[in-house]
Amino acid sequence: MIMEEVEDPITKMIQPQQPYTGQIFQPTQTFTPTTPQPFYGNSFEDEPPLLEELGINFDHIWQKTLTVLHPLKVADGSIMNETDLAGPMVFCLAFGATLLLAGKIQFGYVYGISAIGCLGMFCLLNLMSMTGVSFGCVASVLGYCLLPMILLSSFAVIFSLQGMVGIILTAGIIGWCSFSASKIFISALAMEGQQLLVAYPCALLYGVFALISVF
Amino acid sequence: MHPAGSAAGTPRQPSKRRIPVSHLGMADPHQLFDDTSSAQSQGYGAQRGPSGLGYPTASASPQAAFLADPVSNMAMAYGSSLAAQGKELVDKNIDRFIPVTKLKYYFAVDTLYVGKKLGLLFFPYLHQDWEVQYQQDTPVAPRFDVNAPDLYIPAMAFITYVLVAGLALGTQDRFSPDLLGLQASSALAWLTLEVLAILLSLYLVTVNTDLTTIDLVAFLGYKYVGMIGGILMGLLFGKIGYYLVLGWCCMSIFVFMIRTLRLKILAEAAAEGVPVRGARNQLRMYLTMAVAAAQPLLMYWLTFHLVR
Repeated sequence: MIMEEVEDPITKMIQPQQPYTGQIFQPTQTFTPTTPQPFYGNSFEDEPPLLEELGINFDHIWQKTLTVLHPLKVADGSIMNETDLAGPMVFCLAFGATLLLAGKIQFGYVYGISAIGCLGMFCLLNLMSMTGVSFGCVASVLGYCLLPMILLSSFAVIFSLQGMVGIILTAGIIGWCSFSASKIFISALAMEGQQLLVAYPCALLYGVFALISVF
Repeated sequence: MHPAGSAAGTPRQPSKRRIPVSHLGMADPHQLFDDTSSAQSQGYGAQRGPSGLGYPTASASPQAAFLADPVSNMAMAYGSSLAAQGKELVDKNIDRFIPVTKLKYYFAVDTLYVGKKLGLLFFPYLHQDWEVQYQQDTPVAPRFDVNAPDLYIPAMAFITYVLVAGLALGTQDRFSPDLLGLQASSALAWLTLEVLAILLSLYLVTVNTDLTTIDLVAFLGYKYVGMIGGILMGLLFGKIGYYLVLGWCCMSIFVFMIRTLRLKILAEAAAEGVPVRGARNQLRMYLTMAVAAAQPLLMYWLTFHLVR
């Protein structure tokens, strides 16, 4: 067949950008829900990569993780503009997994506490800041700052945390998590003079997580 | 530019003319105008699929296949517009049930204010001026005046109280997660009862105050700070520590409440320091004393079962 290369430039010009809905007014069209295999087979190279479609951007996730892990590094307020819940999901599951390693099957508590905590922080931050904040942003920040808690619970797998060393370590990690979370919130919401005030409820929330991993 | 696919049949006509006869009757992958009518491209594509890759028009099909059906596109658009409308409705009406803008005033605090206020709650004896400053008929935000009531401290104190109560129960091996919920709801119930009782008595005494309900909730919430201090000392140092610290905090909150409510409930003359005799004023005085005296009682009642 010799006609394949006839109108390439023209068809390439006319790529429809939005879906055309005129189709529904044509009574003779029978919609056959065919398997998409042949099409994806035809146009595999033209699809956007799966991660891009899902909105998971590993580079951003890595950057945000680094921001959390360096408590003294100044946070950039714009990094939290895209609410990305993939990273926090991974961290929550990792936390639950390390708890599982220590013999505590408490995914339900982790989920419940994080939901209530996120809701509480969302209400508090909306009331305290000049600009509002979306729930996704709050959940994203709190999820990212859960990372040091994973270190604590993996430590708890090997050593018991109920001695003096454990208490000091727990207090340090709670402080680290809440400091990072409040730092990111402060820079994202431009609140001055309120870092300790934001850090305190975060510390309460992470304290409850720590309670789960210690006891 | 010819609108793509304005009528499904016509775009194919020009391309058909340019294509050799063998393609008559089939949807042509090289049609001049991209026809995103999905059923057609899907139907025809299925036939063309096995015959090879690399058709230029096939690049239209992922979009067509992705949003497989224009009806579902419309459904998606409708659904998202519904969600946006719903959100608008909630935002408009939430102000009716929860006065968000009024609440924002009570949360306009900063670290310095919180520090000073906590100092006042534990040691109110040296503070001289308890009047809230006004700025053109509205009280200034708590950030700027340490005498203004706020809701940050009571809210945080309440949550901390519930968690510390859980901790205390945990050290006595009496902990279970539903006990936390029980503690929280019983404390909340007592708070509500207190607010209602005081509102009722204010109404009965027909006192003309600018003490709003939220102000009242804020003042009544300050006792949780003392309760937390008492429980923590009880955990660290046993009953002696608990009683000592609780006694101190009860005294402080009593003085704090008297000095704050005096300015709100009593007559202006009395507020300026001139003692005014009169049945009405006496009634108000008794009311203030009753409210202030109820605080230590409740502080004891809500904490004694936690310290063994």
